[in-house]
Amino acid sequence: MKIISIILTAVVVILITLYEWPSTNEDMKKERRTFIVLTGGGFLLAVVLIIFPNLSGPTEFVSWLFKSVGGWMTGE
Amino acid sequence: MIENGRISVLQMAILVYPTIIATAILLLPAITGDQAKQDMWLSPIWASAAGFLAVFLAIRLNNRFPDMTIIQYSEVIVGKFLGKAIGLLFILFLAHNCGVTLREYGEFVKGNFLEDTPLAVIIGSMIFICALAVRGGIEVMARSAQVFVPVVTVLFIVVLLLLIPDITPGNVQPVFKDGIMPSLKGATVAAGWFLEFFVIAFMLPFLRNRKKSAKWSIITVVAVIITMVVTNLVTLFIFGALTPTFTYPVMEAARYISIAEFIQHMESVVMAIWVGGIFIKISVLLYITVLSTAQWVRLSDYRPIVFPYAFIIGVLGHWSAENVQELEKFLKETFPIYALLFLALLPTMLLVTAAARGLRSQNTDNRTSSDASAGKDRSK
Repeated sequence: MKIISIILTAVVVILITLYEWPSTNEDMKKERRTFIVLTGGGFLLAVVLIIFPNLSGPTEFVSWLFKSVGGWMTGE
Repeated sequence: MIENGRISVLQMAILVYPTIIATAILLLPAITGDQAKQDMWLSPIWASAAGFLAVFLAIRLNNRFPDMTIIQYSEVIVGKFLGKAIGLLFILFLAHNCGVTLREYGEFVKGNFLEDTPLAVIIGSMIFICALAVRGGIEVMARSAQVFVPVVTVLFIVVLLLLIPDITPGNVQPVFKDGIMPSLKGATVAAGWFLEFFVIAFMLPFLRNRKKSAKWSIITVVAVIITMVVTNLVTLFIFGALTPTFTYPVMEAARYISIAEFIQHMESVVMAIWVGGIFIKISVLLYITVLSTAQWVRLSDYRPIVFPYAFIIGVLGHWSAENVQELEKFLKETFPIYALLFLALLPTMLLVTAAARGLRSQNTDNRTSSDASAGKDRSK
């Protein structure tokens, strides 16, 4: 099941690349680099989340951060 | 400039209105009612101070740097390194906020209508459509908002009118039973929504004519106040003290509508309102996230990164919460402070620093030393 999800994610990423890559040209090095970083990063994140679905998310991190800072400031 | 499209002030107002209202009308009555009880209709009025503050900050900063967004002028104001750091934090905040909004939509649709559909499909189809709108540029988004917002507003008014036979105005009493405090406490969450008015900071540089921007921003804030007060009053009139027990009180209220056993199932209209509004909201949030990133890395065009970004936001939406309860807890407890930090304190700090250093758009070369007054804070 996880394998199928990963393959589907890969298909989506490949489709995005096939659609968007031709809109950049040789001179747009920075654009291409940003595109690769974002697409690759998104794909890696998706794969990691498919394999470990219970990984703590950004929401939990932010809540934890504010709670710790709040606790530290009130001296708890 | 990275964005070639230009919009009018009215179009900006039409884009911003659903950006605040879309999620607020469904989630806020319950969250506000939890703390403010029968005074919950007052909370949006107190909270609107945050909206006016956000508009004030965005316009004041824009007056100093007319053609820049916060990502660009933060580099001018506090120096390159610190400015980049602020920009990165801001982008992370925007992306997270966009993901959370996407998840709110996903949970709502899954919880009420498409129970057996995987969340990834609901989220994926929405973010795909939003990405198409964003790729078209701000003009396309503004025009689609011009099509959707009037329809959404009329449908919303129809739902409210159809609810009139069911209301019990006595539910609003006793007013100020425990003084003014409960309604102020309820206002904290609504204030988080009002702070989102800061998104105009990303639209002001693309206005055709900036003369009336302050006037129209204030009109939008007032329209949002009226909508929130009316929504809270109607849910209060119908459910009274029960309001906080629902996740989506307006939705539950719409289920009550039954006129001559003919006009029924109005919840599908609420659904239509929500989908139309949230489409604009997610498009706006995705647009400013993509635009910020493109400006942060100084791209010549933001269009190539729209789809990759939409994919990341989709993954973030999936990742941002376990379930709707966790999401609600986050919106209730953390989001007000989170929004305050990024949409009020950070811009205030930038504005105070810019004013102290006398920085304006023309002397952009003067970015050598970062000022000591950066830490100074100023309330409204």
